[in-house]
Amino acid sequence: MSIKHKDGKPISASKLMDELHRYRKGSVTRRHFLGVTGLGLAASVLGTAVPGLRPRKARAAISGTLSLCTWPNYHNQANLDQFTKDTGVPIQVTTFGSNEEMLAKLQAGGTGWDVFVPTNYTISTYVKLGLIDPLDLSKLPNFDAKTNDPRFTGEGTVDGKVYAVPKDWGTTGYAVNTKTVKNEMTSWKQFWDLAQTDYSGKVTVHDYQLTTIGNALKYYGYSFNSVDAKELADAEKLLLAVKPHLFAITSDYQPAMRNGDAVMAVCWTGDAAQMARDLPEIKYVIAKEGGEIWTDFFAIPKEAPNKEAGYAFIDFLETPAVNAKEVEVHGYPSTDSRVTPLLPDAIKNNPILYPATDLLTNLEFGAAITLTDPARAELFARFKSA
Amino acid sequence: MREISVRWPARQAPDLEIGRKQSLAPTVKRSGLVTALLVGPAVTMFFFLLILPLVVVLIYSFGERADAGGYAPAFTFENYLNLGARGKAFFNTLTLAPLATFVTILFAYPMAYFLAVKCSPKWRTMLLVLVIVPFWTSQLLRYYAWMLILGSKGVPAYLAMLAIEGVRIINTPFSVLIGAVYGFLPLMVLPIYVSLERLDKGLIEAAEDLGATPVRSFLQVTLPLSLPGIATGSMLTFILLMGEFILPAFLGGGKVFFIGNALVDLFLQSRNWPFGAAVAMALVIIMFVTVFAYMRFVLRKSGVRNVAMV
Amino acid sequence: MIMRAYAAFIYAFLYFPIAIIVIYSFNVGRYAMDWQGFSLQWYGTAWNNPFVMDALKNSLITAGSTAILSIIVGTAAALGMERVKSAVLRQSFDALVYIAIIVPGIVIGISTLIAAVTVFDLINPFLASLFGGNAPPKLRLGLWTVIASHVLFNLAVVVLVVRARLASLDKNLLEAAQDLYATPFGVFRQVLLPLLLPSIVAGGLMAFTFSLEDYIVTSFVAGPYSTLPIYVFASIRRGVTPEINAIGTVILVASFTLLIMAQWLMRREE
Repeated sequence: MSIKHKDGKPISASKLMDELHRYRKGSVTRRHFLGVTGLGLAASVLGTAVPGLRPRKARAAISGTLSLCTWPNYHNQANLDQFTKDTGVPIQVTTFGSNEEMLAKLQAGGTGWDVFVPTNYTISTYVKLGLIDPLDLSKLPNFDAKTNDPRFTGEGTVDGKVYAVPKDWGTTGYAVNTKTVKNEMTSWKQFWDLAQTDYSGKVTVHDYQLTTIGNALKYYGYSFNSVDAKELADAEKLLLAVKPHLFAITSDYQPAMRNGDAVMAVCWTGDAAQMARDLPEIKYVIAKEGGEIWTDFFAIPKEAPNKEAGYAFIDFLETPAVNAKEVEVHGYPSTDSRVTPLLPDAIKNNPILYPATDLLTNLEFGAAITLTDPARAELFARFKSA
Repeated sequence: MREISVRWPARQAPDLEIGRKQSLAPTVKRSGLVTALLVGPAVTMFFFLLILPLVVVLIYSFGERADAGGYAPAFTFENYLNLGARGKAFFNTLTLAPLATFVTILFAYPMAYFLAVKCSPKWRTMLLVLVIVPFWTSQLLRYYAWMLILGSKGVPAYLAMLAIEGVRIINTPFSVLIGAVYGFLPLMVLPIYVSLERLDKGLIEAAEDLGATPVRSFLQVTLPLSLPGIATGSMLTFILLMGEFILPAFLGGGKVFFIGNALVDLFLQSRNWPFGAAVAMALVIIMFVTVFAYMRFVLRKSGVRNVAMV
Repeated sequence: MIMRAYAAFIYAFLYFPIAIIVIYSFNVGRYAMDWQGFSLQWYGTAWNNPFVMDALKNSLITAGSTAILSIIVGTAAALGMERVKSAVLRQSFDALVYIAIIVPGIVIGISTLIAAVTVFDLINPFLASLFGGNAPPKLRLGLWTVIASHVLFNLAVVVLVVRARLASLDKNLLEAAQDLYATPFGVFRQVLLPLLLPSIVAGGLMAFTFSLEDYIVTSFVAGPYSTLPIYVFASIRRGVTPEINAIGTVILVASFTLLIMAQWLMRREE
């Protein structure tokens, strides 16, 4: 890395030594020295980029282990390792592919999770069931409510109290392997139709009622969150017709897409970004009928055994510099405006993470009712068992 | 998963030594206490860890689903009436289980025959042990291995090299069948082996002396006499298959749903505990009916008085 | 001979998947079915992984406790039932043993979870009011619930195994022993126990192995604790590295050894 002078030209090594010599003799001020060599600028830039150098409030020392419940392919392992190195606390990661599974485990009790990642529409239910407590924001100094887009983060606050802080946002569409799928894919209609015909046996859907039922509803143009009996019946008919043609029902579809077992998969933003990074033929489609737009949050269960570690971990990941490194690896856009300038251009210009506004207008946030509605739960179970 | 080879104690002969019994009379009370102490812990555990939970499940099965999932106290038969909603899961299990059992018999019988009849006694025990042991090693890993073998980098890849393209085995009922046969082959071999080994070879010789061809002597002597072993192996395999969850989850890819998967879903995803309880009760009832039928018909038919399983 | 060839085929069929697990644990490359060279690195990864070690520790504690408890309770019950004359009581006990074995693991797991959660919800508020303070003792799911549910089905196995052995003992031998030793305890210690020991140990080894490799029941009642099968299952779902193969090979070798010992012990007396 070369040191750049103020006007952009790199300073030569001998000039550097001259100036250093003058500074040490006291002939020039420190300020002059730093300015001339460009080190001052470099130092300040470096300082903001490397988490360890950033000034921040001292953290209470934490111990034990941290149990994190999250979604597949959702973190930068280097960040997790860094956290362990900084604090000495190892992180145990459990993953689920649906909010229902997380809720079921929390309802049964004894999960031992310290931090988990609920989606926006579930938080009010968790509060109602008394499974999470309001967050002590003083323990999260690196989270700044003002820099987070309230459009995304509003649902983390219930009755004026903050129960969850945002992690990232994203969309749900489908991934397509354009080497095999030659059609121009733009809609859910195409997805569900072609799954039954041309690409039978090579399509996966999420093991998750919200997106699978929701996107089946979009086939008919109904609302993604519908709990209307007639609309659900139509969606069920479609799902049952498609089921024999599916390769698998899974929220862990990356291996199948990567090795060619599947050519289309209901997919989240970041998974598409990750796959496209390695396999450029994989494209992400946000269907024109609509789909889901969502925000994921961090929350701490009421019965978490190591809450202090939980706070430290969330605070660590909310630090903009760390968060930027997360985004670079997992490919989900952040709700925090402080993060965007820290991202490389390739990511900022990636239409998977930052789709065109007209594609976003038809997307819907999940509704809390879908989590608790027995009809949707039962429909999905019937679909799986069919 | 569990080997059962049992001989229940033969019925006690009438005790003719009355004198001796009377002299023990003063110690009867103490021996009663000892008996209670010996059997007590087991009975207590059975009660608290088996009977009590099953009773709780029974109670739950008459309840209602709470708003956000879970149990809400109520008394309704709705869950049982609604069992048809999982009809396909029951159907899958109740068709694949017998089919897999039958196929396993086909594969296991010749193996058991070889070990019991054709193999020299010197090697017999060791070879038998080598058959049984895989059964008791980690189920998760053995099914995972099949995921690799049947997945796209396994058998289909080799078939593609032979120019047979696009074969897909994983995530189908067929792969579940293969996994089941593989998993339970050892369990089936053992009882058949035991009953074949006890066979009086003299009977076969006698049949052949009387002019029967090898095929006929097999069909009319060997096979019928090894029926108890077949029945025991079948019952064990069938029962264990009925409760399977990992096998269809790994090799079925979420597409082949057994009752076990339905149960896991009902408790850990759709969170309809009362309905799940009803499904669990239905499963238990089916199991008991199966075992009862086995006890009554098969054992009675093969002329065994006690519950000797081979 | 056809039969020999067939037997060989069956052995190949049985051991091929096991061989795959073992062989790919030595693979340099990350993806199974993609051999890249020989290496022991994954064994090192597993050894250094604190969560693998934690799961292993929990598994060993659970399996060991289960085996010991199952042996004690099961053998005692088998011996005790010998003394019971009433047919009704005998059949009731038999029924309990049968039920424990027939009821599928998944039902045992679910029902134990539900019952435990219900009982805890009833007792914990009571404990809280009794002890008060910031952190009153709470009943929760843990290794103890795992051990309890494992002992349940393993003690039934031990009962059956020991009872089968008891039944095959020569009654004359027992009567002679009763004449020699005044107390039943003497009979037990000097005669019965040595005769039963192989079956007891075999039952214990089986209990240890079943407990070590159990996933279904454990996954429901373990709460926050992890055992090896739980760790392996989660890894298989999430995306596997050969670390799992390494762990698997170690488990296979261990259970192989234990089970061969158990079988040898059981067959020795025949």
